[in-house]
Amino acid sequence: MQKSWKRLAIDTATKYVYLSLVLNDKEVDSVYEEGLNNHSVTIIPHLVRMLERQQWKLTDINEVIVGVGPGSYTGVRIAVTIAKMIGYLNNIKINRISSIALIASSVSSGTVLSCIDARRGNAFLGLFENTKTKLTRKTQDSLINIESYLTDLEVKPIVTYEGRPNIEKIIHSDLLEVVSDPTALIPNYMQITEAERNKCLR
Amino acid sequence: MIVMGVETSCDETSVSLVEDGKRVLANEVLSQIDIHKEYGGVVPEIASREHVKGIVFVFDQAMKKANINYKDIDLIAVTAGPGLIGSLLIGINAAKVISLNYGIPIIGIQHIAGHIYANNIEHDMEFPLLALVVSGGHTELVLMESHYDFQKLGETQDDAVGEAYDKVARILGLPYPGGPQVDKLAQQGKDTFSFPRPMLDSGDFNFSFSGLKSKVINTYHNLNQRKATISTPDFCRSFQEAVTDVLVKKTNDAMNLHNVKQVIVAGGVAANQGLREKMRQTITDVPVYFPSIKYCTDNAAMIAVAGYFKYKKEQKADDYLLNGFSRLELK
Repeated sequence: MQKSWKRLAIDTATKYVYLSLVLNDKEVDSVYEEGLNNHSVTIIPHLVRMLERQQWKLTDINEVIVGVGPGSYTGVRIAVTIAKMIGYLNNIKINRISSIALIASSVSSGTVLSCIDARRGNAFLGLFENTKTKLTRKTQDSLINIESYLTDLEVKPIVTYEGRPNIEKIIHSDLLEVVSDPTALIPNYMQITEAERNKCLR
Repeated sequence: MIVMGVETSCDETSVSLVEDGKRVLANEVLSQIDIHKEYGGVVPEIASREHVKGIVFVFDQAMKKANINYKDIDLIAVTAGPGLIGSLLIGINAAKVISLNYGIPIIGIQHIAGHIYANNIEHDMEFPLLALVVSGGHTELVLMESHYDFQKLGETQDDAVGEAYDKVARILGLPYPGGPQVDKLAQQGKDTFSFPRPMLDSGDFNFSFSGLKSKVINTYHNLNQRKATISTPDFCRSFQEAVTDVLVKKTNDAMNLHNVKQVIVAGGVAANQGLREKMRQTITDVPVYFPSIKYCTDNAAMIAVAGYFKYKKEQKADDYLLNGFSRLELK
């Protein structure tokens, strides 16, 4: 790693827009703001202001960490599109991360059930073990009915749907996945579209 | 001045590089037609997913084709609407990243303005001009007295002409996209059904295709119920004659009233051979221009051209609050 390694973390898979600038494993700036279905409008202005505050240029970034969902809201595509473009234009590494893991990192310690609402009582969720410095995954992300999932659990976890991610914890976890071909990066939709489902049923 | 165009309003991911609003250095189009064909029309969620998947590839292809560096680009023009919102936002955010990365100004373009400006690639626009905009979402007559000055003379009161074509194609069991299929079959048929010419003599420049569409569909079902033999080419020709009679007469009337120097036809339905022939046969006083087929359908070259003229006129770019809109007026 170079002497001064700059990372940008970005996630728009939930109703919150999240951006973080990290210098040598230390977060130096971040935005975690509830959006009004307008991530697409606010995210680049937020990024511009953060870069200005740190006196960085977008081309100074050495690595991008992007939340890829799960989910299929329009928002999930915004961060992925931006990350892909930054990675491609500057030929830098992209790491993908579950947006559920990002939420889980916000809890300081304990067993965390991190969720993204998927409507009709369902959630995209994953179980994580959290310490002050370490985040480990206990289950893969899945789409499931939240109530029945909780009923089946022996130990009741801390359930969370939101929280400012702890990017330093994420960086030190083994949850980041290197994207070998940024061109091919897509969100983790986890579900086929309704049209595809209906076609299968025909 | 080199303008990069970005167009993702529907089911084509397209990036272009155009010099001085005229010389196309690259115009890459990644079409999703084969994907949506299976569903009989564009599925918005699938369209958005395909845009994300293909966007970087299309930028890269366009840059390689144009053989320039990003630093050579003077302006980025991106479709801001109307269109499918999830699709629009992919192109807009990708364009914003390029703008920020290289400090290039960015400008949002109304999609129909793009279709009109597609004409400038092959024929210099001379004012005043009359533009007939015909596509799956639009049917309107626009008068332009100078660059980036749009005065709407009339528009459809219900269905767009391309929409009517697609519905007629669907009842005839023709594959998506249906418009070109109807046009192709119409070339082999005769106008035997005498369908109505809606609003032909309404005295204004508005259109209506919903009634004609219903009449065509009802006629088809009635004949089918009676187990009558239907000549598909004759059926297509009869529908096409009704549509093009109205489009051409209204365009001709508007041309005579406004004393224009040229008539241009824009949008996907500008590729229709029946419309092209009738327009050229009827309007002989001034030149009638149609873009090449590749510039009739959605493409980013037209967005770059429109961006060039908009920026030249207004001398200002948009900021990063630039948003996409599913509905956006031409102005």
